[in-house]
This record gives sequence, C-alpha cells and structure tokens, in this order.
Amino acid sequence: MNKPLEPGLGFGGTHYIRIDPQRSEFLVPRWAFTDQAVLDKEREEIFARCWLYVGHASEIPKAGDFVARKVGGRQLFLWRGDDNQPRVYFNTCTHRGAMVCREKQGNAKRLTCPYHGWTFDTRGGMVEQPGASGFPDDFFANGAKDLISPAKVEAYRDFVFVNFDPKAVDLTTYLAGAAEFLDLVADQGQHGMEVTPGEQAYSMRANWKLLYENSADGYHAITAHASYFDYLRATVGVFREDFDPHDVGGGGKSLGNGHAVIEYQAPWGRPVAQWVPQWGDSGKEEVARVQAELASRLGEQRADRIANWNRNILIFPNLIINDIMGLTIRSFQPITPGYLEVTAWSLAPRGEHPEMRAWRQYNFNEFLGPAGFATPDDVEMLELCQQAYQNMPEVGWNDISKGMNRPENNQGDDEVQMRSFWIRWDELMGASR
Amino acid sequence: MALLTRAEVEDFLYHEAALLDEWKTMEWAELFTDDGEYLVPPMDIPDADKSAALFIINDDHHRLVQRAKRLTRRTAHVEFPHSKVRHTIHNVRILEQDDTSLKVASNQIVYRAKRQNLDTFVCHVIYQLVRSGDGLRIRSKRVMLDIDGLRPHGMVSAIL
Repeated sequence: MNKPLEPGLGFGGTHYIRIDPQRSEFLVPRWAFTDQAVLDKEREEIFARCWLYVGHASEIPKAGDFVARKVGGRQLFLWRGDDNQPRVYFNTCTHRGAMVCREKQGNAKRLTCPYHGWTFDTRGGMVEQPGASGFPDDFFANGAKDLISPAKVEAYRDFVFVNFDPKAVDLTTYLAGAAEFLDLVADQGQHGMEVTPGEQAYSMRANWKLLYENSADGYHAITAHASYFDYLRATVGVFREDFDPHDVGGGGKSLGNGHAVIEYQAPWGRPVAQWVPQWGDSGKEEVARVQAELASRLGEQRADRIANWNRNILIFPNLIINDIMGLTIRSFQPITPGYLEVTAWSLAPRGEHPEMRAWRQYNFNEFLGPAGFATPDDVEMLELCQQAYQNMPEVGWNDISKGMNRPENNQGDDEVQMRSFWIRWDELMGASR
Repeated sequence: MALLTRAEVEDFLYHEAALLDEWKTMEWAELFTDDGEYLVPPMDIPDADKSAALFIINDDHHRLVQRAKRLTRRTAHVEFPHSKVRHTIHNVRILEQDDTSLKVASNQIVYRAKRQNLDTFVCHVIYQLVRSGDGLRIRSKRVMLDIDGLRPHGMVSAIL
C-alpha cells in the first residue's frame, strides 16, 4: 500500500491527480491520504511554504498577553509586546531548546526558561542570562540569542498568520479571492471581532485533507446531517418561517491559490443577522437592530449579503472559517497520515448584546464542535473513509467530479471547492526545485 | 424527611450510569427535571459561564431530550452501530444537602470503544439533584473533563 511518489502519473498536465475534462472526471489517488512519504513531502512543500493561521489578535488584547499553540506541527506562541505589537516566536529556548512558554495562555513581561534561567522580553530579546562569565563578551550581541520568529508574520483583519518560507509572497497576495470573504466576516462587528473564551481542542482519526474537503461540502448535508435537520424540525422556532428550501441558492467558488468558498442560504438562525422564533421578541428586536446597524455602516447590499447568506470559507491549506449558525474558526494539522488535530473557536462581534452572545454560543453547539449534532457525524464519515483507504489498494481512486459538467452554474453541493484544493496541492507537491 | 445517605445517592448515580451504558437514552432524559440541563464546559475553563463562553455541551432540557432521541436513530451515524460505553463512578461526595435538594460531586471514568479504539473520558461531575415523589431527579449535570483535549477521542458522541 505504500506507494512511492512518482511524478508524472497524472493525466492532463498534472502530477498525481487525474483530470479528464472530456469525460468530466477528476480523480484523486487514495494513497495521498495514507502514505507517510506524501505527508513528509506535504510538510516540506505545503506546511513550510504556505501561510498558516496562528490566532486572532483579540486573543492577546493587552501588552504582555500570550497564547501558545501548535501551528503546522511546530510549537509557537503569539505574544503582544510592550509596544503593543503582536509577535510570534518558536517556543524553544535558544540555549538548549526547552519550551519557554509553558502555559497555554497568560500575561508576562518576561519569560524565563526554567532549565538554565535564560530570560527573554516581549520583543524576544535576551535580557538576563545567568553565567555570563562563561561566554565571550559579544556572545549575545546583536540579538544573536534572541528568541527566533518564523520568517514571516502578518495579519489580515486581525487574523494572524505565519509563513516559514522567507521567499513567500505577502499574505494579502496569498489570500487572493479569499480576502473578500474574510472581510465579510470581519465586517460583522461594528467594533471589530473577538474570539470568545473556550477553545475546542479535538482530533480525527483521518487524513487532514479529508477535513478540508468536508468543511465546505454541501453535498453531504441531507444524508450525513439528517439527524441535525430532524433536531431543527423538532425544535420549536429554529427554522426561519420565511425560508423556502428552493432559495438555498449560491454555489461553490474557487478563490485562487487553493482557497474556496460555498455561499448559500439556510433555514437556521444567524446571530448576524437572521432571527428565528426560538430567540423570542427581544431577540427579534436585537437582530433588527444589528441589521439596521450593518445597513447604515456598510450599505443595504453588503448588509443583506452578510446578514442573510452563509459562508463556508476554506483557506489553503488548513484554515476553515464557517459563517453559519455560529461563526467558527477551525484550524487543523496532520500528526500522522491517519490522524489530525483540530482546534475550533467561536468568533463574535465585540460588544455583542449579552443575550445574543448567549444565543450565539448555544446555537454553535447545536451543529458544530465535538459534541454537536452534526460535526461528530462528519468526523465519523472521515474516519470511515480513512479506514477504507488504509488497506484496499485495489480500490485506488476518489472521484470529486461533481459539477464539472456545468462549470458555468456551480451549485453549493458540487465539488469545485475540493477540486480547487487538489489542483493547488498537486502543483505544490509536483513542483521540482 | 431524613437526609439521604451517600449510598442512596450512589444508587441513583449507578442507575443513571446503567441506563447510559445500556443506551436507554430516553429513560436517562426522563431523570431530568423540566428545567434540567446537561453541560460540558470548555476544558480550559471548567468554571465557565455558558452565556459567554463556548462550551462543548450546553444543553437545556429540550436539547438534552433531543440528544437522547438522536441517539436512538440510525441517522446518528457516529453512533451507528452504538459504541460500547461503560461508566465507572468513584469519589462520590454529598457537598450540600437540605430537605429538597443536594449538590453531589463524583469522579467518573467513561470508556468508549469502537473499531478497536478505546477512548477514556476522565470526568469530574457535579450534580444538582432534587428529591421528588418518584425519587431523585437531576436539575443540573455539569461534566468537567480532566483531559487536555479530546485527543485522540475526537468527539463526545455518547452521553457522559
């Protein structure tokens, strides 16, 4: 089953995937999900060269605030400096490597490595170091032993990303058509957006690419999430009374660089801003107020788009922002070919009315998260796929061709979002250097 | 009315656990009061406020009944077929008690097995119980997970 990577197996100018436009066929080899050599190459070509999400600026509101987490397989921490500038560091002492930031989050003016006492300030500078007499006078000059940062750190609308490749294009260029959709999320808050307390850290016994494919897949909603729709039906007042299923509308779109989106209408409530009867009269008033505020700040057309349309946004390679019955940031990374770690947060407008905030958090859990009525079924689907890929090399290919026969009219339940990913994956994996 | 002993409270907890281990989820839901709630706060903030923080489970009575119901159907794919679940309960303490209600703490280990994976949920559970004509009922079940992340569990699909 371990198939060595052999460039040139592709068809139609590709390396590993097979595209036949005549037959509207798009095939992906299943060993891409199981092979260790593939993951090793992905770490070099994708995770070491693409922009990876670290965190949201709102997670470190004050000087000295920090959050530590794994990004692209590396332990990093995001630390707001005494100059208010957010910075990202590799979480490793420049002496002999111990992790210097040992709490998941907190506030500190300095971080001291517990091993030999090397101490760093918020700008990464080495400020104290016992045993200086054992080193030449200029040993620490010019920041030689300062904490080390990833090659590039940039933020777009408070979403902070890193890139380990010093030659990478800037973040805004990289985001391409996805920037428009990050704007539609970031614009929801009159006073900006904030990540709410409470992180959901979980995992899946599946390849990381399966989660990307699943996160903007409209096709599976009716079958995989049948029980979620049963819940909506059984729950008085969570359907919008004016929703017509024929109005789902929208479709899937490739946004460049492997990014993609599906944008559509749905019967659930949106904190920003579609009311459902479950939220009562006070909820109705607040939703109307939010809609009016959006319209006055952004104009009717943009306000309508934000309030009444849902978006599942995929940012290559490993960031999902789902703007649905809640607003979630979901970031994930491969640990082994058959296992990924995922972390999700709830993002909300700063200054949101407390009652709406409570409904938002309650709403989030009806679908999303490791104990929602939908996400666990998604996890199960991916694990069932991974289980099957493991040991049946005789069945070698996935088909993601839905909608290739009508590219001018892509529906939300077509697979153009997945094709965008794989085309970009194939380019990066097949590149020769 | 005499106050309840720990043994009597344990009997109730063992009964609740047996219902869950036997997948009698609707009977489990009936153990709750009409204003009952089932909560699993975020692992990083065990004392979080559900109106502000993102919980893992934030079920009011309606939703915990729906959760129970969902698990009786094949369309809850993650639990079709049902995994094997076993609750073990320890360190039961009655923290507070009066004539009508009790606050109880317990440690629980919940094992879930499916497709050759065994996942272990380490829990500290605080119950608010009320005494009724039909015995004890649950007004609040708050399950604090004493693990770093749902890794490799991936989900809370059975009822803890």
